[in-house]
Amino acid sequence: MRPAAIIGTGQTDHGRCRDDVSQPELIREAANRALADADISPADVDAVVLANMEMFEGRALPELWVGEGAFANRKPCLKVATGGTSGTSSCIAGFHQAASGLFDVVLVIGFEKHSEGHTQTGMALTDPFWDRGVASGALGNFALSISQYMAERGVTREQAARVAVKSRRNAAMNPHAHLKDANATIEDVMSSRVLAHPVRLMDMCPQSDGAAAIVIASAEHAAKLCSRPAWIKAAATRHEQPYIGDIDRRLLTMRTLRDAAQSVYARTGIREPLKQLDVAEIYEPVTYAELAWYEVLGFCAEGEAGRLIEDGITEMGGELPVNPSGGVLCANPVGATGVIRVAEAAAQILRRAGAHQIDGARTALATGYGVYAWADALILGSTP
Amino acid sequence: MNERISVDVEMRQSWRYASGAAMERFCEGLRNKRIEALRCEGCGRRYLPPRPFCGNCHLHLSHWVPVAQEGVLEAWTVVCLPFLDGRTGTVRNGPYGMGLVRLDGADTTLNHYLAETDPSRLAVGLRVRAAWRDDLRGAIDDILHFEVMQ
Repeated sequence: MRPAAIIGTGQTDHGRCRDDVSQPELIREAANRALADADISPADVDAVVLANMEMFEGRALPELWVGEGAFANRKPCLKVATGGTSGTSSCIAGFHQAASGLFDVVLVIGFEKHSEGHTQTGMALTDPFWDRGVASGALGNFALSISQYMAERGVTREQAARVAVKSRRNAAMNPHAHLKDANATIEDVMSSRVLAHPVRLMDMCPQSDGAAAIVIASAEHAAKLCSRPAWIKAAATRHEQPYIGDIDRRLLTMRTLRDAAQSVYARTGIREPLKQLDVAEIYEPVTYAELAWYEVLGFCAEGEAGRLIEDGITEMGGELPVNPSGGVLCANPVGATGVIRVAEAAAQILRRAGAHQIDGARTALATGYGVYAWADALILGSTP
Repeated sequence: MNERISVDVEMRQSWRYASGAAMERFCEGLRNKRIEALRCEGCGRRYLPPRPFCGNCHLHLSHWVPVAQEGVLEAWTVVCLPFLDGRTGTVRNGPYGMGLVRLDGADTTLNHYLAETDPSRLAVGLRVRAAWRDDLRGAIDDILHFEVMQ
């Protein structure tokens, strides 16, 4: 293994329906911005990794149809599909390609156009014998887990609403975000309609159209091409048993995320995440999950997440800003969502995050989440 | 500006999946209102739904144990949105109750529907019991839903 770093990022302007572009055009929009940000040309790219959940759009072999848009012709190109983690896992795959010495410059692109298909159908086509007959998608699974989280640790609806308010407010500073509202209130969240008790509309992530890309370079190329690369210090991914009932208290324990985080913390000498991390971009599909995962990620002790959000610790000006971009709650093109986490974390280190830049960010955490099964964690830093 | 052109696609398709030995025996049991779990000889965990392997121990599972038709509600929600049933292609309209039920004799919890749709009458820890459909077919939806026991 040799060091590798992110030297450029690019995102589309995510939205509910990008019917002004086809899938390849959407991808090209993000890829062009990433190459421009890295100040390289398509000829400099050695390999391409794509992330997409093709069941959502009902278009098989997306890597074939969108490859030209991704500058992949006549280059090594592969696709990663692990639910919500697709994006972070594709970044980790690209990292492995560059760090292993296989390639010097790797372009990673995640994309989704939920408006073109049926996300619910994609979510419903699970195990045909058991799960499929009793499924209620990500929403139902989360709502079930949240009942345990509330009963066991006493987290409140108002504390969850604070997460949504923080997210909407942060997103207002992010030109790429889908949902933005600098003036959102706790009352707005708590009076939005119930989707699945106790989850309300503003507690839940949207379905967005969008793409995001990063450029990963080997140490030698990164040093040559970028004055301040975002070094990938450690990356970990974890797999889990399939059925929601297999793991007790999944949201609270989230052992895939806990194990992935502990792995990257151990390799980067992080013992006190709240103090040692400068910023985190975590994959929070629902407000309550952000709270539960403050605990899983070691930002606070079990049962303390409500206090963390109430005290503003994870706000823009707090000790550890979480999701300055507005997070998944404000933009969720699923195949791209994990890439967005990594791109936003990298942009903080690169000092290119614009209005939502965290001053002096040197160490960043990015996480991915997929179907309660998969979890990814990456630590980015300003030094190799 | 030109009018935006989109291409609309509709399709009707069917699939057929082999159940495997573990699910086959389990489904046969359901046809007789019998619920069985597979127990791992390594860690002792009793899996419901039964499956061929223990993910934790990597052992092949073959030891069947009986499971009761009632148990504890470990988690619950009332879904208010219509959701697609991925087996039939039909839509289930809200509100409908869902729960994770730990049946007596199993260690995993079972994801299934609840008869109760009033959030104020649902709570973690309630005892619930399976309600069966009249025409048993050997599938998970032979259990219609779980009812809160009085």
